[in-house]
Amino acid sequence: MKVPILRIGRMLLASVQVELRDTVADAFQQDVLAAIEKNGADGLIIDITALDIVDSYVARVLLDTGRMARLLGAPTVLVGMRPAVAATLTRMGFVMDDVYTALNIDEGLHLLQGIAGRRLGA
Amino acid sequence: MATRVLSRQEMKIDCEDDVLLVRRRVQMLAQQRGFDPFATAALTTATSELTRNVWIHAGRGQAVVEEIAEGGRCGIRVQFRDEGPGIADIERALRGGYSTAGSLGLGLSGSRRLVDHLNIESAPGRGTVVTILKWARLR
Amino acid sequence: MVERQYMARLNMDDNELRRRLSAFEITEEDLQRLASLRPLAERHMDGIIDDFYKLLLSHEEMRVHFPDEATVRHVKRMQREYFLGLFSGKVDLRYVEDRLRAGAAHERIGVAPKLYLAAYSRYLRLILDRVMQDVTDVAQACQVYASIQKLVHFDMALALDTYLAASIDTITRHQAAIRELSTPVIRVYERILLMPIIGTVDSQRAQQIMETVLVRVVEEQARVVILDIAGVSLVDSQVADHLLETTAAVRLLGAQTILTGISAQVARTIVRLGVEIANMHTCSRLADGIELALRMVGKRIAPEMQQRSE
Repeated sequence: MKVPILRIGRMLLASVQVELRDTVADAFQQDVLAAIEKNGADGLIIDITALDIVDSYVARVLLDTGRMARLLGAPTVLVGMRPAVAATLTRMGFVMDDVYTALNIDEGLHLLQGIAGRRLGA
Repeated sequence: MATRVLSRQEMKIDCEDDVLLVRRRVQMLAQQRGFDPFATAALTTATSELTRNVWIHAGRGQAVVEEIAEGGRCGIRVQFRDEGPGIADIERALRGGYSTAGSLGLGLSGSRRLVDHLNIESAPGRGTVVTILKWARLR
Repeated sequence: MVERQYMARLNMDDNELRRRLSAFEITEEDLQRLASLRPLAERHMDGIIDDFYKLLLSHEEMRVHFPDEATVRHVKRMQREYFLGLFSGKVDLRYVEDRLRAGAAHERIGVAPKLYLAAYSRYLRLILDRVMQDVTDVAQACQVYASIQKLVHFDMALALDTYLAASIDTITRHQAAIRELSTPVIRVYERILLMPIIGTVDSQRAQQIMETVLVRVVEEQARVVILDIAGVSLVDSQVADHLLETTAAVRLLGAQTILTGISAQVARTIVRLGVEIANMHTCSRLADGIELALRMVGKRIAPEMQQRSE
Protein backbone atom coordinates (compact mmCIF):
# COMPACT_ATOMS: atom_id res chain seq x y z
CA MET A 1 0.00 0.00 0.00
CA LYS A 2 1.49 3.31 -1.06
CA VAL A 3 0.60 6.85 -0.19
CA PRO A 4 -0.40 8.62 -3.43
CA ILE A 5 1.46 11.85 -4.16
CA LEU A 6 -0.13 14.37 -6.53
CA ARG A 7 1.40 17.47 -8.03
CA ILE A 8 -0.70 20.64 -8.02
CA GLY A 9 1.30 23.32 -9.84
CA ARG A 10 4.39 23.92 -7.71
CA MET A 11 2.91 22.07 -4.73
CA LEU A 12 2.80 18.42 -3.75
CA LEU A 13 -0.20 16.76 -2.15
CA ALA A 14 0.15 13.49 -0.24
CA SER A 15 -3.09 11.91 0.99
CA VAL A 16 -2.50 9.43 3.76
CA GLN A 17 -5.27 6.87 3.39
CA VAL A 18 -3.72 3.90 5.17
CA GLU A 19 -2.31 3.32 8.62
CA LEU A 20 1.35 4.34 8.55
CA ARG A 21 3.22 1.24 9.61
CA ASP A 22 7.03 1.10 9.61
CA THR A 23 7.35 -0.08 6.03
CA VAL A 24 4.65 2.24 4.70
CA ALA A 25 6.02 5.16 6.68
CA ASP A 26 9.54 4.68 5.28
CA ALA A 27 8.28 4.39 1.72
CA PHE A 28 6.08 7.44 2.25
CA GLN A 29 9.00 9.56 3.45
CA GLN A 30 11.25 8.41 0.62
CA ASP A 31 8.61 8.95 -2.06
CA VAL A 32 7.78 12.44 -0.84
CA LEU A 33 11.42 13.52 -0.57
CA ALA A 34 12.29 11.97 -3.94
CA ALA A 35 9.41 13.85 -5.57
CA ILE A 36 10.58 17.17 -4.09
CA GLU A 37 14.19 16.48 -5.04
CA LYS A 38 13.35 15.49 -8.60
CA ASN A 39 11.21 18.39 -9.76
CA GLY A 40 11.35 20.79 -6.86
CA ALA A 41 8.30 21.98 -4.96
CA ASP A 42 7.32 25.16 -3.17
CA GLY A 43 5.43 23.25 -0.53
CA LEU A 44 4.03 19.96 0.65
CA ILE A 45 0.49 19.28 1.79
CA ILE A 46 -0.10 16.16 3.86
CA ASP A 47 -3.80 15.35 4.06
CA ILE A 48 -4.72 13.20 7.06
CA THR A 49 -8.51 13.46 6.83
CA ALA A 50 -8.73 9.68 6.57
CA LEU A 51 -6.81 8.98 9.80
CA ASP A 52 -9.05 8.39 12.81
CA ILE A 53 -6.11 7.46 15.03
CA VAL A 54 -2.75 9.21 15.12
CA ASP A 55 -0.44 7.87 17.82
CA SER A 56 2.92 9.38 18.75
CA TYR A 57 4.68 7.13 16.25
CA VAL A 58 2.61 8.31 13.30
CA ALA A 59 2.71 11.90 14.56
CA ARG A 60 6.48 11.73 14.57
CA VAL A 61 6.61 10.27 11.07
CA LEU A 62 4.46 13.17 9.84
CA LEU A 63 6.51 15.71 11.74
CA ASP A 64 9.84 14.29 10.55
CA THR A 65 8.63 14.22 6.97
CA GLY A 66 7.67 17.88 7.32
CA ARG A 67 11.10 18.76 8.74
CA MET A 68 12.89 16.88 5.98
CA ALA A 69 10.77 18.51 3.28
CA ARG A 70 11.54 21.91 4.75
CA LEU A 71 15.25 21.18 4.48
CA LEU A 72 14.62 20.60 0.77
CA GLY A 73 12.89 23.96 0.56
CA ALA A 74 9.30 22.77 0.76
CA PRO A 75 7.44 24.00 3.84
CA THR A 76 4.81 21.50 4.96
CA VAL A 77 1.21 21.98 5.93
CA LEU A 78 -0.80 19.29 7.65
CA VAL A 79 -4.48 19.41 6.70
CA GLY A 80 -7.73 17.72 7.67
CA MET A 81 -6.87 16.59 11.19
CA ARG A 82 -9.97 15.27 12.94
CA PRO A 83 -11.14 16.85 16.23
CA ALA A 84 -10.60 13.66 18.24
CA VAL A 85 -7.09 13.30 16.84
CA ALA A 86 -6.21 16.90 17.72
CA ALA A 87 -7.58 16.45 21.24
CA THR A 88 -5.67 13.21 21.75
CA LEU A 89 -2.35 14.56 20.52
CA THR A 90 -2.50 17.69 22.67
CA ARG A 91 -3.62 15.67 25.67
CA MET A 92 -0.54 13.50 25.24
CA GLY A 93 1.62 16.60 25.15
CA PHE A 94 2.61 16.34 21.52
CA VAL A 95 3.54 19.68 19.97
CA MET A 96 3.82 20.15 16.23
CA ASP A 97 5.37 23.56 16.01
CA ASP A 98 7.52 22.68 13.00
CA VAL A 99 4.68 22.20 10.55
CA TYR A 100 1.89 24.50 9.41
CA THR A 101 -1.70 23.34 9.76
CA ALA A 102 -4.83 24.12 7.77
CA LEU A 103 -8.45 23.04 7.85
CA ASN A 104 -8.56 21.63 4.34
CA ILE A 105 -6.56 21.19 1.15
CA ASP A 106 -7.73 24.51 -0.35
CA GLU A 107 -6.59 26.46 2.66
CA GLY A 108 -3.36 24.52 2.82
CA LEU A 109 -2.67 25.40 -0.79
CA HIS A 110 -3.52 29.03 -0.16
CA LEU A 111 -1.23 29.14 2.87
CA LEU A 112 1.72 27.63 0.98
CA GLN A 113 1.20 29.95 -1.98
CA GLY A 114 1.29 32.88 0.43
CA ILE A 115 4.56 31.64 1.93
CA ALA A 116 6.08 31.06 -1.51
CA GLY A 117 4.97 34.53 -2.64
CA ARG A 118 6.51 36.20 0.41
CA ARG A 119 9.70 34.29 -0.16
CA LEU A 120 9.89 35.49 -3.77
CA GLY A 121 9.08 39.02 -2.71
CA ALA A 122 11.86 39.07 -0.12
CA MET B 1 -18.21 -2.30 44.03
CA ALA B 2 -18.15 -5.58 42.17
CA THR B 3 -16.52 -5.50 38.76
CA ARG B 4 -17.79 -7.96 36.20
CA VAL B 5 -15.91 -9.07 33.15
CA LEU B 6 -18.31 -9.22 30.19
CA SER B 7 -15.81 -10.44 27.63
CA ARG B 8 -12.14 -11.29 27.54
CA GLN B 9 -9.76 -11.81 24.66
CA GLU B 10 -6.07 -12.60 24.76
CA MET B 11 -4.04 -11.42 21.81
CA LYS B 12 -0.39 -12.03 21.01
CA ILE B 13 1.98 -9.21 20.19
CA ASP B 14 5.03 -10.25 18.20
CA CYS B 15 5.00 -8.27 14.99
CA GLU B 16 3.90 -4.84 13.82
CA ASP B 17 0.68 -6.21 12.35
CA ASP B 18 -0.30 -7.28 15.88
CA VAL B 19 -0.05 -3.65 16.99
CA LEU B 20 -2.75 -2.83 14.45
CA LEU B 21 -4.87 -5.88 15.30
CA VAL B 22 -4.98 -5.14 19.03
CA ARG B 23 -5.73 -1.50 18.33
CA ARG B 24 -8.55 -2.31 15.91
CA ARG B 25 -10.08 -4.74 18.37
CA VAL B 26 -10.10 -2.09 21.12
CA GLN B 27 -11.44 0.56 18.75
CA MET B 28 -14.28 -1.73 17.65
CA LEU B 29 -15.23 -2.58 21.24
CA ALA B 30 -15.17 1.07 22.26
CA GLN B 31 -17.50 1.98 19.41
CA GLN B 32 -19.83 -0.92 20.25
CA ARG B 33 -19.90 0.10 23.91
CA GLY B 34 -21.00 3.61 23.02
CA PHE B 35 -17.74 5.49 23.61
CA ASP B 36 -17.94 8.90 21.89
CA PRO B 37 -15.34 9.68 19.18
CA PHE B 38 -13.05 11.51 21.63
CA ALA B 39 -13.03 8.70 24.19
CA THR B 40 -12.63 6.10 21.46
CA ALA B 41 -9.65 7.93 19.98
CA ALA B 42 -8.08 8.39 23.41
CA LEU B 43 -8.39 4.72 24.38
CA THR B 44 -7.35 3.44 20.97
CA THR B 45 -4.34 5.72 20.86
CA ALA B 46 -3.21 4.67 24.35
CA THR B 47 -3.58 1.05 23.24
CA SER B 48 -1.51 1.76 20.18
CA GLU B 49 1.27 3.38 22.25
CA LEU B 50 1.42 0.56 24.78
CA THR B 51 1.21 -2.27 22.25
CA ARG B 52 4.02 -0.64 20.31
CA ASN B 53 6.05 -0.34 23.51
CA VAL B 54 5.74 -4.10 24.02
CA TRP B 55 6.78 -4.81 20.47
CA ILE B 56 9.68 -2.34 20.43
CA HIS B 57 11.10 -2.88 23.93
CA ALA B 58 10.37 -6.55 24.55
CA GLY B 59 9.94 -7.93 21.03
CA ARG B 60 6.92 -9.92 22.05
CA GLY B 61 4.18 -10.12 24.61
CA GLN B 62 0.47 -10.23 25.08
CA ALA B 63 -2.54 -7.94 25.26
CA VAL B 64 -5.63 -8.96 27.24
CA VAL B 65 -8.67 -6.98 26.15
CA GLU B 66 -11.68 -7.01 28.48
CA GLU B 67 -15.08 -5.37 28.53
CA ILE B 68 -16.09 -4.72 32.11
CA ALA B 69 -19.16 -3.49 33.95
CA GLU B 70 -19.33 -1.92 37.37
CA GLY B 71 -22.32 -0.28 38.99
CA GLY B 72 -24.23 0.40 35.79
CA ARG B 73 -21.31 1.72 33.76
CA CYS B 74 -19.25 -0.02 31.12
CA GLY B 75 -15.56 0.16 30.54
CA ILE B 76 -12.75 -1.36 28.57
CA ARG B 77 -9.66 -2.69 30.29
CA VAL B 78 -6.50 -3.67 28.44
CA GLN B 79 -3.53 -5.33 29.98
CA PHE B 80 -0.15 -5.40 28.19
CA ARG B 81 2.30 -8.03 29.36
CA ASP B 82 5.85 -8.69 28.30
CA GLU B 83 8.95 -10.37 29.61
CA GLY B 84 11.27 -7.73 28.26
CA PRO B 85 13.94 -5.64 30.02
CA GLY B 86 11.43 -3.95 32.35
CA ILE B 87 11.43 -0.39 33.61
CA ALA B 88 13.89 0.68 36.31
CA ASP B 89 12.40 4.05 37.22
CA ILE B 90 8.62 3.87 36.77
CA GLU B 91 8.05 7.32 38.24
CA ARG B 92 10.39 8.88 35.73
CA ALA B 93 8.91 6.93 32.83
CA LEU B 94 5.48 8.16 33.84
CA ARG B 95 6.55 11.78 34.09
CA GLY B 96 7.71 11.57 30.49
CA GLY B 97 8.09 14.91 28.89
CA TYR B 98 7.14 17.02 25.96
CA SER B 99 10.62 16.71 24.49
CA THR B 100 10.90 12.92 24.48
CA ALA B 101 8.51 12.64 21.55
CA GLY B 102 8.08 9.10 20.32
CA SER B 103 10.10 7.55 23.11
CA LEU B 104 8.80 5.27 25.81
CA GLY B 105 8.40 8.38 27.95
CA LEU B 106 5.68 9.92 25.86
CA GLY B 107 4.07 6.54 25.28
CA LEU B 108 3.54 5.98 28.99
CA SER B 109 2.98 9.50 30.25
CA GLY B 110 0.84 10.34 27.24
CA SER B 111 -1.20 7.19 27.63
CA ARG B 112 -1.83 7.95 31.26
CA ARG B 113 -3.42 11.25 30.31
CA LEU B 114 -5.70 9.50 27.84
CA VAL B 115 -7.28 6.92 30.14
CA ASP B 116 -9.02 6.86 33.53
CA HIS B 117 -6.54 4.47 35.16
CA LEU B 118 -3.07 3.32 34.27
CA ASN B 119 -1.11 0.92 36.40
CA ILE B 120 2.44 -0.35 35.86
CA GLU B 121 4.14 -3.30 37.45
CA SER B 122 7.73 -3.69 36.37
CA ALA B 123 11.26 -4.28 37.54
CA PRO B 124 14.53 -4.52 35.60
CA GLY B 125 14.80 -7.95 34.04
CA ARG B 126 11.36 -8.96 35.29
CA GLY B 127 9.18 -7.81 32.44
CA THR B 128 6.40 -5.27 32.46
CA VAL B 129 2.64 -5.38 32.99
CA VAL B 130 0.74 -2.21 32.12
CA THR B 131 -3.01 -2.07 32.70
CA ILE B 132 -5.24 0.68 31.39
CA LEU B 133 -8.94 1.27 31.95
CA LYS B 134 -11.35 3.72 30.41
CA TRP B 135 -15.04 4.13 31.23
CA ALA B 136 -17.66 4.93 28.66
CA ARG B 137 -18.81 8.46 29.37
CA LEU B 138 -22.51 8.89 29.99
CA ARG B 139 -23.87 10.78 27.03
CA MET C 1 -39.13 -2.09 22.78
CA VAL C 2 -38.10 -0.37 26.00
CA GLU C 3 -37.53 -3.70 27.72
CA ARG C 4 -34.95 -4.60 25.09
CA GLN C 5 -32.97 -1.52 26.02
CA TYR C 6 -33.18 -2.45 29.68
CA MET C 7 -32.06 -5.99 28.86
CA ALA C 8 -28.98 -4.48 27.26
CA ARG C 9 -28.46 -1.98 30.07
CA LEU C 10 -28.48 -4.76 32.67
CA ASN C 11 -26.18 -6.83 30.44
CA MET C 12 -28.86 -9.48 30.63
CA ASP C 13 -27.87 -12.72 28.98
CA ASP C 14 -27.89 -16.38 29.98
CA ASN C 15 -24.85 -15.86 32.21
CA GLU C 16 -26.29 -12.88 34.01
CA LEU C 17 -29.59 -14.71 34.46
CA ARG C 18 -27.76 -17.64 36.00
CA ARG C 19 -25.87 -15.33 38.34
CA ARG C 20 -29.10 -13.66 39.44
CA LEU C 21 -30.91 -16.93 40.04
CA SER C 22 -28.00 -18.14 42.10
CA ALA C 23 -27.91 -14.90 44.09
CA PHE C 24 -31.53 -15.47 45.08
CA GLU C 25 -30.85 -19.19 45.60
CA ILE C 26 -33.59 -20.08 43.17
CA THR C 27 -33.18 -23.68 42.10
CA GLU C 28 -34.91 -25.89 39.59
CA GLU C 29 -36.59 -27.46 42.60
CA ASP C 30 -38.16 -24.12 43.54
CA LEU C 31 -39.46 -23.65 40.02
CA GLN C 32 -40.89 -27.16 39.86
CA ARG C 33 -42.54 -26.66 43.22
CA LEU C 34 -44.17 -23.47 41.98
CA ALA C 35 -45.24 -25.16 38.75
CA SER C 36 -46.94 -27.90 40.75
CA LEU C 37 -48.93 -25.21 42.56
CA ARG C 38 -50.30 -23.80 39.34
CA PRO C 39 -53.81 -25.36 39.62
CA LEU C 40 -54.04 -23.95 43.12
CA ALA C 41 -52.83 -20.58 41.92
CA GLU C 42 -55.38 -20.49 39.14
CA ARG C 43 -58.14 -21.19 41.60
CA HIS C 44 -57.11 -18.32 43.86
CA MET C 45 -56.01 -15.91 41.18
CA ASP C 46 -59.11 -13.77 40.87
CA GLY C 47 -59.61 -13.61 44.61
CA ILE C 48 -56.01 -12.53 45.21
CA ILE C 49 -56.06 -9.94 42.46
CA ASP C 50 -59.39 -8.47 43.54
CA ASP C 51 -58.16 -8.17 47.11
CA PHE C 52 -54.91 -6.71 45.90
CA TYR C 53 -56.58 -3.89 44.01
CA LYS C 54 -59.05 -3.26 46.82
CA LEU C 55 -56.03 -2.71 49.05
CA LEU C 56 -54.28 -0.50 46.50
CA LEU C 57 -57.37 1.62 45.86
CA SER C 58 -57.86 2.17 49.58
CA HIS C 59 -54.51 3.97 49.67
CA GLU C 60 -54.60 7.60 48.61
CA GLU C 61 -51.20 7.80 46.96
CA MET C 62 -51.75 4.60 45.05
CA ARG C 63 -55.28 5.45 43.99
CA VAL C 64 -54.14 8.28 41.73
CA HIS C 65 -52.60 5.73 39.38
CA PHE C 66 -56.01 4.16 38.72
CA PRO C 67 -58.15 7.05 37.49
CA ASP C 68 -61.02 5.00 36.06
CA GLU C 69 -62.64 1.59 35.81
CA ALA C 70 -61.07 0.86 32.43
CA THR C 71 -57.57 1.32 33.83
CA VAL C 72 -58.35 -1.00 36.72
CA ARG C 73 -59.71 -3.63 34.32
CA HIS C 74 -56.57 -3.30 32.19
CA VAL C 75 -54.10 -3.62 35.03
CA LYS C 76 -56.03 -6.55 36.48
CA ARG C 77 -55.66 -8.35 33.19
CA MET C 78 -51.90 -7.63 33.18
CA GLN C 79 -51.74 -8.73 36.77
CA ARG C 80 -53.24 -12.13 35.92
CA GLU C 81 -50.49 -12.75 33.40
CA TYR C 82 -47.90 -11.67 35.87
CA PHE C 83 -49.37 -13.85 38.59
CA LEU C 84 -49.48 -16.98 36.45
CA GLY C 85 -45.89 -16.29 35.40
CA LEU C 86 -44.82 -16.97 38.97
CA PHE C 87 -46.16 -20.48 38.68
CA SER C 88 -44.94 -21.21 35.16
CA GLY C 89 -41.98 -23.25 36.39
CA LYS C 90 -39.70 -21.40 34.02
CA VAL C 91 -37.47 -18.38 34.52
CA ASP C 92 -35.77 -17.63 31.22
CA LEU C 93 -34.81 -14.49 29.33
CA ARG C 94 -38.42 -14.01 28.18
CA TYR C 95 -39.57 -14.11 31.76
CA VAL C 96 -37.02 -11.43 32.62
CA GLU C 97 -38.07 -9.35 29.65
CA ASP C 98 -41.70 -9.50 30.80
CA ARG C 99 -40.69 -8.38 34.28
CA LEU C 100 -38.60 -5.53 32.93
CA ARG C 101 -41.49 -4.40 30.75
CA ALA C 102 -43.70 -4.24 33.82
CA GLY C 103 -41.03 -2.35 35.76
CA ALA C 104 -40.54 0.10 32.89
CA ALA C 105 -44.30 0.68 32.62
CA HIS C 106 -44.53 1.53 36.33
CA GLU C 107 -41.55 3.81 36.16
CA ARG C 108 -43.03 5.56 33.12
CA ILE C 109 -46.32 6.41 34.78
CA GLY C 110 -44.40 7.65 37.80
CA VAL C 111 -45.17 5.06 40.44
CA ALA C 112 -42.63 5.79 43.16
CA PRO C 113 -40.39 2.85 44.17
CA LYS C 114 -41.74 3.00 47.73
CA LEU C 115 -45.28 2.38 46.44
CA TYR C 116 -44.07 -0.30 44.09
CA LEU C 117 -42.35 -2.14 46.91
CA ALA C 118 -45.29 -1.58 49.27
CA ALA C 119 -47.61 -3.07 46.68
CA TYR C 120 -45.27 -6.00 46.25
CA SER C 121 -45.24 -6.60 49.97
CA ARG C 122 -49.05 -6.65 50.09
CA TYR C 123 -49.18 -8.86 47.09
CA LEU C 124 -46.77 -11.35 48.60
CA ARG C 125 -48.81 -11.45 51.81
CA LEU C 126 -52.05 -12.05 49.92
CA ILE C 127 -50.53 -14.84 47.88
CA LEU C 128 -49.11 -16.52 50.93
CA ASP C 129 -52.34 -16.19 52.93
CA ARG C 130 -54.44 -17.73 50.20
CA VAL C 131 -52.11 -20.40 48.96
CA MET C 132 -51.11 -21.45 52.44
CA GLN C 133 -54.72 -22.12 53.33
CA ASP C 134 -54.60 -25.10 51.00
CA VAL C 135 -51.21 -26.42 51.98
CA THR C 136 -51.78 -28.45 55.11
CA ASP C 137 -48.39 -30.07 55.63
CA VAL C 138 -46.19 -27.67 57.65
CA ALA C 139 -42.88 -28.74 56.11
CA GLN C 140 -44.31 -28.40 52.63
CA ALA C 141 -45.83 -25.04 53.53
CA CYS C 142 -42.41 -23.74 54.56
CA GLN C 143 -40.88 -24.82 51.29
CA VAL C 144 -43.67 -23.30 49.24
CA TYR C 145 -43.37 -20.11 51.24
CA ALA C 146 -39.61 -19.93 50.60
CA SER C 147 -39.99 -20.61 46.87
CA ILE C 148 -42.64 -17.92 46.35
CA GLN C 149 -40.69 -15.44 48.38
CA LYS C 150 -37.48 -16.03 46.45
CA LEU C 151 -39.12 -15.54 43.09
CA VAL C 152 -41.04 -12.44 44.14
CA HIS C 153 -37.83 -10.90 45.47
CA PHE C 154 -36.10 -11.83 42.24
CA ASP C 155 -38.82 -9.89 40.42
CA MET C 156 -38.52 -6.96 42.79
CA ALA C 157 -34.80 -6.73 42.08
CA LEU C 158 -35.52 -6.55 38.37
CA ALA C 159 -38.07 -3.82 38.94
CA LEU C 160 -35.63 -1.82 41.04
CA ASP C 161 -32.92 -2.20 38.41
CA THR C 162 -35.34 -0.82 35.84
CA TYR C 163 -36.02 2.19 38.06
CA LEU C 164 -32.31 2.72 38.57
CA ALA C 165 -31.51 2.47 34.87
CA ALA C 166 -34.35 4.87 34.10
CA SER C 167 -33.09 7.43 36.63
CA ILE C 168 -29.57 7.16 35.24
CA ASP C 169 -31.05 7.85 31.80
CA THR C 170 -32.83 10.91 33.14
CA ILE C 171 -29.67 12.19 34.81
CA THR C 172 -27.73 11.57 31.61
CA ARG C 173 -30.27 13.57 29.62
CA HIS C 174 -30.08 16.42 32.10
CA GLN C 175 -26.30 16.34 32.05
CA ALA C 176 -26.35 16.55 28.28
CA ALA C 177 -28.70 19.52 28.47
CA ILE C 178 -26.51 21.25 31.04
CA ARG C 179 -23.43 20.51 29.00
CA GLU C 180 -24.98 22.06 25.95
CA LEU C 181 -25.97 25.11 27.93
CA SER C 182 -22.53 25.40 29.51
CA THR C 183 -20.63 25.34 26.24
CA PRO C 184 -22.53 27.58 23.83
CA VAL C 185 -20.78 28.36 20.58
CA ILE C 186 -21.87 31.43 18.65
CA ARG C 187 -21.05 32.07 15.03
CA VAL C 188 -20.18 35.77 15.13
CA TYR C 189 -19.25 36.07 11.50
CA GLU C 190 -18.45 33.76 8.63
CA ARG C 191 -15.70 31.45 9.87
CA ILE C 192 -15.43 33.17 13.26
CA LEU C 193 -16.75 31.40 16.37
CA LEU C 194 -17.19 32.77 19.87
CA MET C 195 -17.46 30.76 23.04
CA PRO C 196 -18.24 32.76 26.16
CA ILE C 197 -17.08 30.74 29.16
CA ILE C 198 -19.02 31.50 32.32
CA GLY C 199 -18.70 30.12 35.83
CA THR C 200 -16.33 27.49 37.12
CA VAL C 201 -13.98 25.59 34.84
CA ASP C 202 -13.01 22.23 36.27
CA SER C 203 -11.14 19.63 34.26
CA GLN C 204 -14.33 17.88 33.11
CA ARG C 205 -15.82 21.12 31.83
CA ALA C 206 -12.50 22.13 30.29
CA GLN C 207 -12.56 18.89 28.33
CA GLN C 208 -16.13 19.59 27.14
CA ILE C 209 -15.10 23.07 26.11
CA MET C 210 -12.19 21.73 24.11
CA GLU C 211 -14.20 18.98 22.44
CA THR C 212 -17.08 21.30 21.56
CA VAL C 213 -14.71 23.91 20.15
CA LEU C 214 -12.84 21.35 18.04
CA VAL C 215 -15.98 19.77 16.62
CA ARG C 216 -17.50 23.15 15.78
CA VAL C 217 -14.30 24.46 14.18
CA VAL C 218 -14.30 21.53 11.77
CA GLU C 219 -18.07 21.67 11.20
CA GLU C 220 -18.05 25.38 10.40
CA GLN C 221 -14.55 25.33 8.90
CA ALA C 222 -13.88 28.26 11.20
CA ARG C 223 -10.57 30.05 10.97
CA VAL C 224 -10.75 31.79 14.34
CA VAL C 225 -12.23 30.87 17.72
CA ILE C 226 -12.66 33.54 20.35
CA LEU C 227 -12.69 32.23 23.91
CA ASP C 228 -14.10 34.90 26.19
CA ILE C 229 -13.16 34.26 29.80
CA ALA C 230 -14.62 37.45 31.32
CA GLY C 231 -17.23 35.35 33.11
CA VAL C 232 -14.90 32.73 34.53
CA SER C 233 -15.03 32.98 38.30
CA LEU C 234 -11.49 31.82 38.99
CA VAL C 235 -8.54 31.59 36.64
CA ASP C 236 -5.81 29.51 38.24
CA SER C 237 -2.92 27.62 36.69
CA GLN C 238 -5.14 24.64 35.89
CA VAL C 239 -7.64 26.74 34.01
CA ALA C 240 -4.80 28.48 32.19
CA ASP C 241 -3.33 25.10 31.24
CA HIS C 242 -6.68 23.95 29.88
CA LEU C 243 -6.98 27.09 27.79
CA LEU C 244 -3.47 26.52 26.43
CA GLU C 245 -4.32 22.93 25.60
CA THR C 246 -7.44 24.02 23.72
CA THR C 247 -5.41 26.61 21.83
CA ALA C 248 -2.83 23.98 20.87
CA ALA C 249 -5.51 21.55 19.69
CA VAL C 250 -7.30 24.24 17.68
CA ARG C 251 -4.00 25.05 16.00
CA LEU C 252 -3.57 21.41 14.98
CA LEU C 253 -6.83 21.68 13.09
CA GLY C 254 -5.51 24.70 11.22
CA ALA C 255 -7.42 27.44 13.07
CA GLN C 256 -6.46 30.09 15.62
CA THR C 257 -7.64 31.02 19.07
CA ILE C 258 -8.07 34.48 20.56
CA LEU C 259 -8.44 34.76 24.30
CA THR C 260 -10.53 37.74 25.39
CA GLY C 261 -12.05 39.10 28.56
CA ILE C 262 -8.78 39.03 30.46
CA SER C 263 -8.95 41.26 33.50
CA ALA C 264 -5.96 42.97 35.07
CA GLN C 265 -6.23 40.51 37.93
CA VAL C 266 -6.12 37.51 35.57
CA ALA C 267 -3.18 39.00 33.65
CA ARG C 268 -1.27 39.25 36.93
CA THR C 269 -2.21 35.68 37.89
CA ILE C 270 -1.14 34.28 34.53
CA VAL C 271 2.25 35.99 34.65
CA ARG C 272 2.85 35.12 38.29
CA LEU C 273 2.01 31.48 37.63
CA GLY C 274 4.54 31.49 34.83
CA VAL C 275 2.04 30.19 32.27
CA GLU C 276 3.53 30.33 28.80
CA ILE C 277 1.13 32.43 26.76
CA ALA C 278 3.51 33.86 24.18
CA ASN C 279 1.79 31.87 21.43
CA MET C 280 -1.68 33.12 22.26
CA HIS C 281 -3.56 36.04 20.81
CA THR C 282 -5.05 37.87 23.77
CA CYS C 283 -7.22 40.95 24.25
CA SER C 284 -8.76 42.41 27.34
CA ARG C 285 -12.00 43.39 25.60
CA LEU C 286 -14.22 41.12 23.55
CA ALA C 287 -14.76 43.92 21.00
CA ASP C 288 -11.04 44.06 20.32
CA GLY C 289 -10.99 40.29 19.95
CA ILE C 290 -13.73 40.45 17.33
CA GLU C 291 -11.84 43.14 15.40
CA LEU C 292 -8.69 41.04 15.51
CA ALA C 293 -10.61 37.96 14.36
CA LEU C 294 -12.08 39.89 11.44
CA ARG C 295 -8.62 41.07 10.41
CA MET C 296 -7.47 37.43 10.49
CA VAL C 297 -10.13 36.49 7.96
CA GLY C 298 -9.37 39.54 5.84
CA LYS C 299 -12.21 41.84 6.94
CA ARG C 300 -12.30 44.97 9.00
CA ILE C 301 -14.73 47.20 10.78
CA ALA C 302 -14.57 50.79 9.54
CA PRO C 303 -16.59 53.90 10.42
CA GLU C 304 -19.48 54.59 8.04
CA MET C 305 -18.17 58.04 7.04
CA GLN C 306 -14.75 56.74 6.15
CA GLN C 307 -16.27 53.99 4.05
CA ARG C 308 -18.28 56.54 2.05
CA SER C 309 -15.28 58.69 1.35
CA GLU C 310 -13.30 55.71 0.09
